[in-house]
Amino acid sequence: MQGVIDFFTNTLGGLWTDSGLHALFSAGGWKNLIMILVSFVFMYLAIAKGFEPLLLLPISFGMLLTNLPMAGLYHPELWVLVDGHVNYGEVLKEGGLLDILYLGVKLQLYPPLIFLGIGCMTDFSPLIANPKSFLLGAAAQGGIFFTFVVAGLLGFTAAEAGSIAIIGGADGPTAIYVSTRLLTGGGAITTGNIALAAYTYMALVPIIQPPIMRALTSKKERSVKMEQLRTVSKTEKIIFPIAVTIIVSLLVPSAAPLVGMLMFGNLLKESGVAARLIDTAQNALMNIITIFLGVSVGATTKADQIINLKFGGVMLLGVIAFSLGTACGLIFGKIMYKVTGGKVNPLIGSAGVSAVPMAARISQKVGAETDPTNFLLMHAMGPNVAGVIGSAVAAGVLLSVIG
Amino acid sequence: MYINTVALADKVLKGTEKLDGTQITAMTIIGLSVVFFALLILVVFLYTSGSFFKAAKPGEKKAAETKKAAPAAPAAAKPAAPKAALQAAAPAEDDSEVVAVIMAAIAAMGTADGKQYRIKSVRPVSGGSGRSAWAQAGIAELTRPF
Repeated sequence: MQGVIDFFTNTLGGLWTDSGLHALFSAGGWKNLIMILVSFVFMYLAIAKGFEPLLLLPISFGMLLTNLPMAGLYHPELWVLVDGHVNYGEVLKEGGLLDILYLGVKLQLYPPLIFLGIGCMTDFSPLIANPKSFLLGAAAQGGIFFTFVVAGLLGFTAAEAGSIAIIGGADGPTAIYVSTRLLTGGGAITTGNIALAAYTYMALVPIIQPPIMRALTSKKERSVKMEQLRTVSKTEKIIFPIAVTIIVSLLVPSAAPLVGMLMFGNLLKESGVAARLIDTAQNALMNIITIFLGVSVGATTKADQIINLKFGGVMLLGVIAFSLGTACGLIFGKIMYKVTGGKVNPLIGSAGVSAVPMAARISQKVGAETDPTNFLLMHAMGPNVAGVIGSAVAAGVLLSVIG
Repeated sequence: MYINTVALADKVLKGTEKLDGTQITAMTIIGLSVVFFALLILVVFLYTSGSFFKAAKPGEKKAAETKKAAPAAPAAAKPAAPKAALQAAAPAEDDSEVVAVIMAAIAAMGTADGKQYRIKSVRPVSGGSGRSAWAQAGIAELTRPF
């Protein structure tokens, strides 16, 4: 009888010590509990507030899954470099579901494939019709490099500073692409931290940008009505992606995967002969990649990597990067306003930070506040799509210089 | 022209090392310069190719205007823009019909209010963007959701 009771208590005890609940209430378990609560906050923001739900929801659920003790879905220790390389054999042998999905992030497959879908959905006509928009897209990348300065001065390493700075590009896939390449594991900052900050601030663009736009522009500047854009021919639209791919890839080879796939998607769209491929790239493929990317990036937000002062620094510098990018675009817009004798509305400069199409919508909205008959949306789309190319080029520069 | 930043910088910044003032300044200047230079080349390319296409197709503008008029016709089906529909349907020179339609719209508005209105003056819009009132109304309709 005693043997039966012992067997019963030992089995129950074993089950208890193997359970997630036991791990949650043992030493260090409180961090997981906090992370689970944080994942609820992001789920709330995505579902109730509509903050970039297509990405924040998978990211937050990935965060929940990875912080459930003992579930074994993701193992950060498998991704630490050994002799400068990840042991992919070990990942395939020992990895959980999210480790396998994370392969696409680590091998930089997902961001370029997302860019393929974005290319299929983007109309570059406003940029082709008004090429000087490119300069506004370039100026807004100032947010990336000035944030690099701030991060460097605050004592972050080169890889960390580059990963934080790219948040200023306001482009999620680019931020993930750069941070995955630069942050090789073992540090306090992960790709998940960067992605969380980037997507949170992208969702907050309507709150972050308007006060800066009003502060840096006068009423007279905001009320400038721009000339109607010219019609762009189909041939120009077809030549554009091919030319951009060649020019950018020759100048900054590291940007080729992102810019190349963006432009390939755009060529599919503009060619008008690949309807089935466009349909797959911008719908099924993009949705599948978005799910894989979101859940696996969310999985990298293990409690130890988030609950530390450095993540606070990432969030703080992220908002600084967004604000600086907006300010740089606006200031260059003001310069163009002066140079062109008042023909350019500086408000379109803030759209150069990417965040397509939200940033362009904000330019339209703030312009319409000053003059309801002013329609800046199409003019702002030029710098907006230029910002996508600009941030990819900036990413290429960071990857080229930081080893 | 080929600028290989990899060769130029030869990964000058080690990812795991902290940055000093010189490295930060150099990175910022190089980064911004390369981004501006790359996009400036694209600006030059687009202006050059754009002027070529404009020169090659002098009749393009006319064709574009004809195309623009065509999509206006489907708007006739939309009850939200009856004025624009009638404008699109009527010949451009038939102003009297347009005036009659506007008067009818104003009269209808007056009937709803229980009041009568009359037009006292018509003035050109100052500081316009070069678009017709119909085009402005169309853009307002399209951009309202944003």
